[in-house]
Amino acid sequence: MDELQVVGQVVGGNFGDIVIRQKAGTNLEIGDLMVSEENGSFLILQVFALEYGSQIQDRMQQMMSGVNLEQGVVDAHFYEPEFVNYVLARIKPLARVFKENNDVKIPKSLPSFFNKLRLITNEDLKFLQKEGDQIMVGHIRSGSKVIKEAEVWLPAQDVFSHHVLIPATTGRGKSNLVKTILWYLLDANKVGALVLDAHDEYYGRTGPGLKDHPKSKDNLVYYTPSNPPVGANRLTINLETIRPDHFEGIIELSDPQLAAMRMAFRKNPKGWISDLMKTSAIDSGMEPGARAEFAAGTLMVVQRKLRLILSLEVDEEQVIVSRHEVFDSTTKGITTVDDIVKDIEQGRVVVLDTSRLGDEAELIVGNIIASKLLQKYKDAKATGELDRKPVATIVIEEAPRVIGEDVLKSRNDNIYATIAKEGRKFKVGLTAITQLSSVIPKTILANMNTKIILGNEMKQEREAIIASASQDLSEDDKNIASLDKGEAIVTSIFVPFAMPIKVPLFEDIVKQKGIVQNTGKTKVF
Amino acid sequence: MKFAHLSDIHLGFQKHEALQKVEQQVFEKALDECISRKVDFILIPGDMFHVNIPEMRVQKYAFAKFREVYDAGIPVYVVYGSHDFSPVSNSVIDLLAEVGYIIKVTKATSNEDGTISLGFLVDEGTGAKIAGLSGLKVGKDREWYEKLDRNGLEAESGFKIFLFHGGISDMKTDSGMDGDHMPLSLLPKGFSYYAGGHMHKWNHQEFSDYAHVVYPGTPFAGYHADLEENAKGQKRGFVLVDFDEKVNSVDFIELENTQYEIIEVDANNRKADSVNSELVEKTKGIDPNEKVVIIKVAGELTSGKTADVDVSGIRDSLNESGSLVVNISKNQLKSKEYSITEAKGANKEEVETNVFAENIGQLRFEKPDLVGEQGVKLAKKLLRELGQGQLVNEKKNEYIPRVRDNVLAILGVDKDDSQ
Repeated sequence: MDELQVVGQVVGGNFGDIVIRQKAGTNLEIGDLMVSEENGSFLILQVFALEYGSQIQDRMQQMMSGVNLEQGVVDAHFYEPEFVNYVLARIKPLARVFKENNDVKIPKSLPSFFNKLRLITNEDLKFLQKEGDQIMVGHIRSGSKVIKEAEVWLPAQDVFSHHVLIPATTGRGKSNLVKTILWYLLDANKVGALVLDAHDEYYGRTGPGLKDHPKSKDNLVYYTPSNPPVGANRLTINLETIRPDHFEGIIELSDPQLAAMRMAFRKNPKGWISDLMKTSAIDSGMEPGARAEFAAGTLMVVQRKLRLILSLEVDEEQVIVSRHEVFDSTTKGITTVDDIVKDIEQGRVVVLDTSRLGDEAELIVGNIIASKLLQKYKDAKATGELDRKPVATIVIEEAPRVIGEDVLKSRNDNIYATIAKEGRKFKVGLTAITQLSSVIPKTILANMNTKIILGNEMKQEREAIIASASQDLSEDDKNIASLDKGEAIVTSIFVPFAMPIKVPLFEDIVKQKGIVQNTGKTKVF
Repeated sequence: MKFAHLSDIHLGFQKHEALQKVEQQVFEKALDECISRKVDFILIPGDMFHVNIPEMRVQKYAFAKFREVYDAGIPVYVVYGSHDFSPVSNSVIDLLAEVGYIIKVTKATSNEDGTISLGFLVDEGTGAKIAGLSGLKVGKDREWYEKLDRNGLEAESGFKIFLFHGGISDMKTDSGMDGDHMPLSLLPKGFSYYAGGHMHKWNHQEFSDYAHVVYPGTPFAGYHADLEENAKGQKRGFVLVDFDEKVNSVDFIELENTQYEIIEVDANNRKADSVNSELVEKTKGIDPNEKVVIIKVAGELTSGKTADVDVSGIRDSLNESGSLVVNISKNQLKSKEYSITEAKGANKEEVETNVFAENIGQLRFEKPDLVGEQGVKLAKKLLRELGQGQLVNEKKNEYIPRVRDNVLAILGVDKDDSQ
């Protein structure tokens, strides 16, 4: 090893907590990756703590400081300061790479004692080559230094069928990461995605977005409730596609309320919501002579919930209209759900602009589609055709709304929880984005086999993430807390070690790889 | 002021003489209605003919009728549909346009920057401004819409009509409607009326920015499934629109075509014998005289082959009883014992290979050439040979033996082997 490259030397510690002395003149950072060359292989190690070391006793140093500060002796120096005072870095081994075949294994031994270490380079990361249909999530990051040539690719089909969790607080680059992931999904039709886009930020109506992907015409489908841009679809869902069970686990309904909805559904499966909305609660509750099916109060509550959640109103011609135009009671949007499911089955990314919908309405829309999708995948499994279908993933923000502990305890399972629990068998996964991982039950967290961890200043959240990570991150608490915008750690059963990455800026990806305008003439008949 | 909107007439589609007559009658009746109702102009957005050059019989009566419309002073505005288009203006549409009986609407200019500009035609009698784009097969026209320079089209004032030929996903009314649909947002906004073709059922909807998007549907039948829809009561006809500065009313004018009987049998979880007896029973209960009879058998048989459901006898008896035509639909009939599993592939070749590979395991033959990989190869060779068309100048009595001999050679059998 070139002496100039050396940044430190192993001086002590134990497995998982090795102490190295930093070479004077170098500046190690938390998260820095370094390499210890061994016989036929090399170890990749990561700095997780930094502290001072000195050959002079503490009391002596404190006295020296006193001389300096209190007695005004300005030219008091240590003799050979680089030799006497230094930085100790505590590092942990991440991976052992065998030079012969680029095989990466979990390390089980210490680096040689007194071995000199250097910082990682692009050459050391050759094992990260892209194979098959993969998605890029970022470049390897050593501390705050980004190794541009070392791209981290994840096997898309495996990752998305085994669920993905993206824990992050606001402003840490969450939407940039999601856009980047979806961008790479658009490259191939191997993973279909339903994206509930509550902020209408992925398609790129006004700025750069997924629409700029060269394959967006074929692989991206965008639904928005009003004024769709050229080529986009109108998000209209006919009320006849909604069933009472789509509300389960999403909103709180008492047994009588649910019974009222089910009864109306049985009587008129296609027009039950309209029927319920138009029935006079008072008349039906006080029908003379006959026992009313429901108490007037129950019906009124059901009507109020439907009205508020789906933003429904009855117009003067007794037609049900929705204020945000997403739900329709006439002839529009009858095939929207089926069309979306078909698109996902063909490996397309379907982005739904749900920014106009309330929280619950958004979840209900997602529920209708996801239920149908899961059912189709279950049927495909039963007939042996599942192998031919692409993996499907449902991308949902603020995931605790549907898979939070309190929601799952107080209500029945909803489709998102079902997918989190059993979707993997049917190639349907969840991509859950959340600020609050701690409220998601451990059983579900443990099932999310890929976590792309962005910065998080809340200790409780970091602990929940660390406890459920696919690699041991017990020493990474501070590391996670200090992640800057766009910096992340990928922990997954599909990567050899927890990879520190820097997510590329989406705008840069668009600039480099976005659509080049065709300027040729087109023949029109 | 008023105009008529017809589409998807598919003249020349019907192969059976009795239905050809109906096809002609409906077409003539529709245009007679337009003349008698004194419409100011007629719009036909595509698939007026089933192919770009239909047989002479069809051309003859079409020319005769359009001559009458022309003599009545009614302009007919058309765009090509996916069936009758020709990239080199080699369609009967172009003949009709050449003699002045109809007017092709598409006035497109391809610009250097890749965009497409579209001009308006102005109907002299009413001042209505008409623009439009033709429809191509499998949605290839989508690119035109994506490149369309919308600003000029949308800024134009006055009563504007846009003619288009293609499915609009926002207008779909049932999930079974597969195929190429494009979102409404690809059409330019702000026209007073969108005259659509391609979807075969009457459909009229209003959207913000898109007032009155209308498909009249076929006046009779352009696909085999249309006859079945007719038998189930689907209304057929054309659209009459009353307008001044805006559309005042859109009315559907129904046209009678012929009479139907439909026999539907659900074969799910049944044996062929029981399906056959139900078919016989149901046939007894109908009066087929001068009617189109549709027989539809769908579902999954518990055993046997789908060919065991035998409808040939029923067809004969219905024909003897004076039915116009007997149409039999068994393509949704499957068998648990033997069914074709679909398979995907990147291209036609791959799809064929995969479908054969998926299904060949169901066959039990002793000859090793007929099963496994060898069987797939053989099946592909056979398919290729049987798909050969008749050569130009080749007579039928030359074509049939040529294909037969080639097929026998592929199978490695002599034509006398069966005897």
